[in-house]
Amino acid sequence: MQYSFEEHRIVGGNGADDEYWRGLERGVFQLPRCAGCRRWTWPAQFRCGQCGSWEFEWVPLEPNGIIFSWTRSFYAFDRVVERRADLPYVTVVTELPGADGARVIGVLKGDETGLRIGTAVRGTIDPPCEKSKWYPSIRWEIVRAEPG
Amino acid sequence: MSALRGRTAIVGVGQTPYYKRGTSPDSDVKLALRAIVAACEDAGIDPRDVDGFVSYASERSDAPRLMAALGTREVRFPALAWIHGGGIPGALGLAGTAIVAGQADVVVVYRSMAERVGQRLRVNVAQNDTTAQYLVNGIESPVQILALRAQRLMQADGVPRSALRAVTRASYYHARNNPRAVGRQTNLDDETYDGARMIADPYKLFDCSRENDGACAVLIVSAERARTLARKPAYILSAPMGTLEGGGALEENWRSYYATAGQAGLARRLWAESGYGPEDVDVAQVYMNNNAMGIGALIDHGFCTAENAGEFLTFENLIAPGGALPINTSGGDLAEGFIHGMGLVAEAVRQLRGDSPNPVPNAQLSLMTGGPGDWMSSTCLLGTEDTL
Repeated sequence: MQYSFEEHRIVGGNGADDEYWRGLERGVFQLPRCAGCRRWTWPAQFRCGQCGSWEFEWVPLEPNGIIFSWTRSFYAFDRVVERRADLPYVTVVTELPGADGARVIGVLKGDETGLRIGTAVRGTIDPPCEKSKWYPSIRWEIVRAEPG
Repeated sequence: MSALRGRTAIVGVGQTPYYKRGTSPDSDVKLALRAIVAACEDAGIDPRDVDGFVSYASERSDAPRLMAALGTREVRFPALAWIHGGGIPGALGLAGTAIVAGQADVVVVYRSMAERVGQRLRVNVAQNDTTAQYLVNGIESPVQILALRAQRLMQADGVPRSALRAVTRASYYHARNNPRAVGRQTNLDDETYDGARMIADPYKLFDCSRENDGACAVLIVSAERARTLARKPAYILSAPMGTLEGGGALEENWRSYYATAGQAGLARRLWAESGYGPEDVDVAQVYMNNNAMGIGALIDHGFCTAENAGEFLTFENLIAPGGALPINTSGGDLAEGFIHGMGLVAEAVRQLRGDSPNPVPNAQLSLMTGGPGDWMSSTCLLGTEDTL
């Protein structure tokens, strides 16, 4: 599979999270777990600093979490000007109880009502587009009670 | 106590005028030369004798670009403290370590910025190390990243808006007496603060540092040599740098801390190495990329807790001459201007000499904290001869 993000690489990270983006681009939300000691290791690393293993397995998981923190941006900053038309937009740091509290960043989707620390959110995956710099992205949506 | 305690001192300070970003008539290299030569003149040391050059972050004016214009006899110790504004006090520590180890005699620590020839500081400061996890999700500027922490500091830990307002108002109050301060004309009353536009929730305009063109340099020599010079030495009592386990480049996944500055471990080292504690400090220059992070630094250093921050961080408590802990007495990063925080070092020294624009009477212990919330940070305690 030809991945969009690989043709629009953003430098700056340690480069260990390629499988995260590949997964998202295939429609799978997955995080790395150390193959040696089974610890969730996020952000992705090349080596487990706890047990010394160089092997990780990427485990698909349900994108269910709670809002750990958030901010609403009112300014089109230089390197994210693609989102100018969406201002103000909310970015959420979501904590995932299913992955030992790993925190994953994503832009809020849908109604903002109830936006606060501790609110339950569920992720959906957006395909690569200009706004996300041709990377796939996880979008966090506030979980609403089922009607009735 | 450490082997470095009081062994070196800052003996010269040089600062160019501060310009609105992108408007300096001089390039960053020329600004660096101006500040370094001014620091040498202040100390009474020939610029040719500077043999150590230390800076931090993305400084472009390195020793090779400066030495011909300074007439440098020999560069013996060129070094850069890693990371961003977290490296400033660490740069002082690096300079002091080099001198004590015999690797240099006269070390200048400096930072120069001119955005006309460089880049926007908020881009430059990040050294292109902002990761895809942020940029893909609309997060680029340090103010947005630090807003995530501030949200947590305020909503989860309970630090009130009044504390943010107080540190900002104290900074602008001090700037009024500082001819260099870019924000000296701004009368920052509650209404102006509250009415400012939102940048990244919860940060409004006056919660944010500025970006300016300019340069600042300080000169460091051994304590023995410092005693022979004209200026009253500001001795480096301790200047630890580093990060505890659970810190580093973790994309919002810090576990041992989150909303504060990540300086608790550094502060423990600072107090242990210097033999002093927060109750002894007379005046503090607190790096404020954003004001809530500076509050995090004060919490990490033990001046207050998240629980009592609202009571402790009042305008009256934070202003010179009589406040319990006067902070950012030149106006600091918010109101004096922002040469990536380097101006705070100059002001920390001036307080011990007594020539601050807002002097704290008989100040003996002067604190300068580095970039809070940085992947790695540092902090520094300066003292007079009597504190050794």
